[in-house]
Amino acid sequence: MTTANLEIDKKQKERSKIHKLLRRFKNSWQLYLFLLPALTFFIIFHYLPMYGVQIAFKDFYATEGIWGSPWIGFDHFTRFFDSYYFWRLLTNTLLLNLYQLALFPLPIILALAVNELRNGAFKKWVQTITYAPHFISVVVIVGMIVAFLDTITGLANHMITSLGGESVPFLTSPEWFRHIFVWSDVWQTLGWGSIIYLAALAGINPELHEAAKIDGATRMQRIRYINIPGILPTVVVLFILSLGNFMAVGFEKVLLLQNNLNSSTSDVIQTFVYESGLLEGQYSFASAIGLFDSMINIILLITVNQIAKKTSDNSLW
Amino acid sequence: MMRVSLSDKAFDIVNKIFLLIVTAVILYPLIFVVSASISDPGAVSSGRMWLWPVDITLEGYRKVFENSDIWIGYRNTILYTLLGTLIHLLVLIPCAYALSRREVMGKKIILWFIIFTMFFNGGLIPTYLVVKSLGMVDTIWSVIVPNAVGAWSILVARTFFQQNIPEQLVEAAKMDGGSDFYIFRKVVLPLAGPIIAVMALFHGVSLWNQYFNALIYISDQNLYPLQLFLREILVINEIDMNTQEAGQMESFVEQVKTAGLIKYAVIIVSALPLLIIYPFLQRFFVKGVLIGSVKE
Amino acid sequence: MKLKKSLLAATSAVLLLSACNNAEGTQGEDSAETASEKVNETGMPIVDEQIQLKFFADRAATTHEDWNDVMIFNEYEKMTNIDVEWEMVPTDALAEKRNLALASGTLPDVFHSADISNLDLLEYGQQGVFLELNDLIDQYAPNLKKLMNENPDIKKGITFPNGKIYSMPTIYEPDFLSVLDGARPWVNQEWLDKLGMENPETTEEFYQYLKAVQETDLNGNGKQDEIPYGGTVIDGLVGWIKGSYGLGNRGIRHPYIDVDSDSDELRFFADDEEYKQMLQYINKLYSEGLIQQNIFSIDYNQFLANGAQNIYGSTVFHNTISLFGEEVGSKFTGGNALEGENGDKMYTDLGSSLAGMGGFVITKENPNPAATVRWMDYFYSDEGAKLFFMGLEGETYQETEDGEVEYLDKITNSPDGLTMEQELAKYMTWLGGGYPGIVKQDYFKGSESLPSSIKATERLEPYIPEEIWPAFTFTEEESRRFSALATDIEKYVKETRDKLITGEISFAEWDNYVQTLQDMGLEEYMEIQNAAYERFKNS
Repeated sequence: MTTANLEIDKKQKERSKIHKLLRRFKNSWQLYLFLLPALTFFIIFHYLPMYGVQIAFKDFYATEGIWGSPWIGFDHFTRFFDSYYFWRLLTNTLLLNLYQLALFPLPIILALAVNELRNGAFKKWVQTITYAPHFISVVVIVGMIVAFLDTITGLANHMITSLGGESVPFLTSPEWFRHIFVWSDVWQTLGWGSIIYLAALAGINPELHEAAKIDGATRMQRIRYINIPGILPTVVVLFILSLGNFMAVGFEKVLLLQNNLNSSTSDVIQTFVYESGLLEGQYSFASAIGLFDSMINIILLITVNQIAKKTSDNSLW
Repeated sequence: MMRVSLSDKAFDIVNKIFLLIVTAVILYPLIFVVSASISDPGAVSSGRMWLWPVDITLEGYRKVFENSDIWIGYRNTILYTLLGTLIHLLVLIPCAYALSRREVMGKKIILWFIIFTMFFNGGLIPTYLVVKSLGMVDTIWSVIVPNAVGAWSILVARTFFQQNIPEQLVEAAKMDGGSDFYIFRKVVLPLAGPIIAVMALFHGVSLWNQYFNALIYISDQNLYPLQLFLREILVINEIDMNTQEAGQMESFVEQVKTAGLIKYAVIIVSALPLLIIYPFLQRFFVKGVLIGSVKE
Repeated sequence: MKLKKSLLAATSAVLLLSACNNAEGTQGEDSAETASEKVNETGMPIVDEQIQLKFFADRAATTHEDWNDVMIFNEYEKMTNIDVEWEMVPTDALAEKRNLALASGTLPDVFHSADISNLDLLEYGQQGVFLELNDLIDQYAPNLKKLMNENPDIKKGITFPNGKIYSMPTIYEPDFLSVLDGARPWVNQEWLDKLGMENPETTEEFYQYLKAVQETDLNGNGKQDEIPYGGTVIDGLVGWIKGSYGLGNRGIRHPYIDVDSDSDELRFFADDEEYKQMLQYINKLYSEGLIQQNIFSIDYNQFLANGAQNIYGSTVFHNTISLFGEEVGSKFTGGNALEGENGDKMYTDLGSSLAGMGGFVITKENPNPAATVRWMDYFYSDEGAKLFFMGLEGETYQETEDGEVEYLDKITNSPDGLTMEQELAKYMTWLGGGYPGIVKQDYFKGSESLPSSIKATERLEPYIPEEIWPAFTFTEEESRRFSALATDIEKYVKETRDKLITGEISFAEWDNYVQTLQDMGLEEYMEIQNAAYERFKNS
């Protein structure tokens, strides 16, 4: 075969490949139309403003605009890394998030349990009650925590002292901060978080259950072999996504619960940004730290997604 | 057969007790909020009120409703929530469905294109300039459109579709010559009840509670959502005792007192509609909705 | 599809353009002295032909929602012929809105009570976005100029290292000590009488008083619920006591440095031996239960409720009557400057007469800077202060026989059942703070000028330091380095202070603490402070 022939062959192959692609496109062009509104939205409201990311490497002057402000390289980053508190901030942020992540299964358990109830008043009641705390604002949550755990007047310490114990300074002890923060969060978001799993459970084909029942499977067995596998993809995806904002903490709540005495555990990256911002215009500095967080998140997300892909069939992409 | 139902009964009882305990634990603080909203604020913060109302006063509610703008806020918030949720679903559901279909080319790139936005954003100023150049500032669109859809919902909804729309069903419909539009309408949507309900709920609630977009983009008070009016009466400026500005002290003590009085009432006022609506949405999460629609 | 694309292209082009415009517009333009501006040099109206100005203003939740409808500003418009169009920004979004205004190129003519930081003043001043005001003040602000001449610290304080002034400040009348003081010490006079004790004069006597309060059922409710010292933060008590150890002797604008009385040099006092002694004293109070044990986490409303039940023996606050109500609040009397164990007897918790700098800046967009300066300058005069804080005679205030001014009955006892604060909001805007101008004892009717506050301050007056400094100004470079250092160091100082007070760490750790401060860059921190101090001294 001559090289010319080869060329022609290659071209033909390419042409047929393009042809095939075109046919594929033609066959399902409507699906691409489905994608269009969302993609347009992302381009306009996310990608167009994305040039703003560079501000993390600049000395931002509002009047110069983002393009006009002078470059300063990694100054904002080094300022953060050089801070005396850097390691403390990083560890606290990581630990707080790990703690929260460890409680990831709780809403799933609730959803599985609620799903076993017969439709009726009790089920509605359980769902509505557990869902309601989601609407309580942070300020009030903290107000309740303070009222409840106060060293002198709090109900918790009243109970401890009446049982002969010594009152515990919950709100000013570094040892207690994480428990208070995380468990009050569980209390607030447990029911809300379970909704999505309930929806996933509702999507499971009921015929599976019918068949299992005929085979004599117990409730426990059906949960284990039908419900759990049925919602597993949702669980995996939500887990991976929660790693996508791993570094984020409920900033307002931390700030309200924080004091000089518990800051060795309660000081997190976001509160540090806030404090530094009080002293000077925080725009560039805050976005530099935001970028740092994003880097950690993105690494976590990719890693966990790879693991999920290898060990199960479920992954984001 | 007998043994099975016996163990099932035991399971049922254990499960009910478990849920009863969970509900009780969560119920307590809810009662606390309701009681606190009609109690004297001093009694609440000093721990004298811990379950039932003490020194009953309706002052908090009076103060909230004294603000005649509350009703404007309610009207706007309802409008923003309904319209915003509708737009959200119109953008989200088709996109998530399309991404769940195997034949779509370049899916991985599109997914990355979407996931990328979870991590990088231009920040407030560039986004503001975009919204402004689209002429949305000081219109209802500035509250609704910039957050119309997010990567999170697309990825979650896509998983649902992957999981719950049987491939054969779509294939069969396609064989019969149905277009994708047709399949979407006749096959996919009837099966998508739970995910639509969840996404509508999640987005609707976030729109209901959102205030930041309005704070930044809206200066016309007639367009303020409820949360902005509520914040106006609730927010306490964190005043550093050391700045000692003349005149701030009055302002501060006044605000602390007001905040103590109304902060619980505000929750009831703003969350009640969402609590009432929820039981109606619950029927979408009930199993069995699929019976009859799935033929394999 | 095509249409969408072109729309995208168009929008991105618009964005690029607007960004470029911003960049170009700001460079090279010097503070524009508009020669053509028509303005009357003295007297009212300020301009013969009415002009309009756009003011960007922070609205605290306690002021009227639209200042265009506030009486004093409408009245002032008639006087000056300057129509101010107020653009209100809720405090919540102040920083964002300010940055957006600067970034999107929609500058107002003036930023009013917008709390602009010193660093921003300098940066935007150097870029010419905020006008340099030296000459304008010289020519058109006789009232402010007079105040600056009388009190050179004000001029020093508002002048940046490059010799320029970019803002018109908030000034407290130097004689109005009560407002310079802000929060002040209070002790329960009724309880002192019951105990047969004198108002404590030394830290030891104060300790004895607290001890007695702890052990006696002074409010007679049959319960041992008296709290010897209460507050919402420990800072109040520290502010009271630090003078007893000779610390903080240049006022609270310098919360960590002062002048060493021996060497006459600038010193960082939070690692000083006397500072340690002070903390040991406060630690003794805390560990013996003489300080409210939950002071570090208490909810504000709980403090107010406790106070109203008369269980506090002492506190540090602006005024106890406005806090706890007339009945309980009036039982309190001012506390003394206490003599410490080394014989120091001072009260140093005072602010400078220059209370703030970020309240009034004029932008380059302003076509009438001279008229604007005159507009503001009026509020530094006696009449202007009266208008700002009291309103109009017959309308909101009246003059009593002995020449004092007081609000009319319709404000103090609202016919509509409103609080005085709510009534005031209809007529004026001073509630909420942050405003530029001068605060005078004669016209200011906040809790600082209540008779009990004035009396309490008189007790302290003999013991206040001679020199109270305003905050230093830094160069841009210094500022950046300094704020990074200060964030860490000052945070560490505060944290350690509270831990030593509660006993969470022991005083055996002291040397470690001092060493850590060094490791954090205290030396450089002090270098920058010293450079600023040199400039301050020599200007």
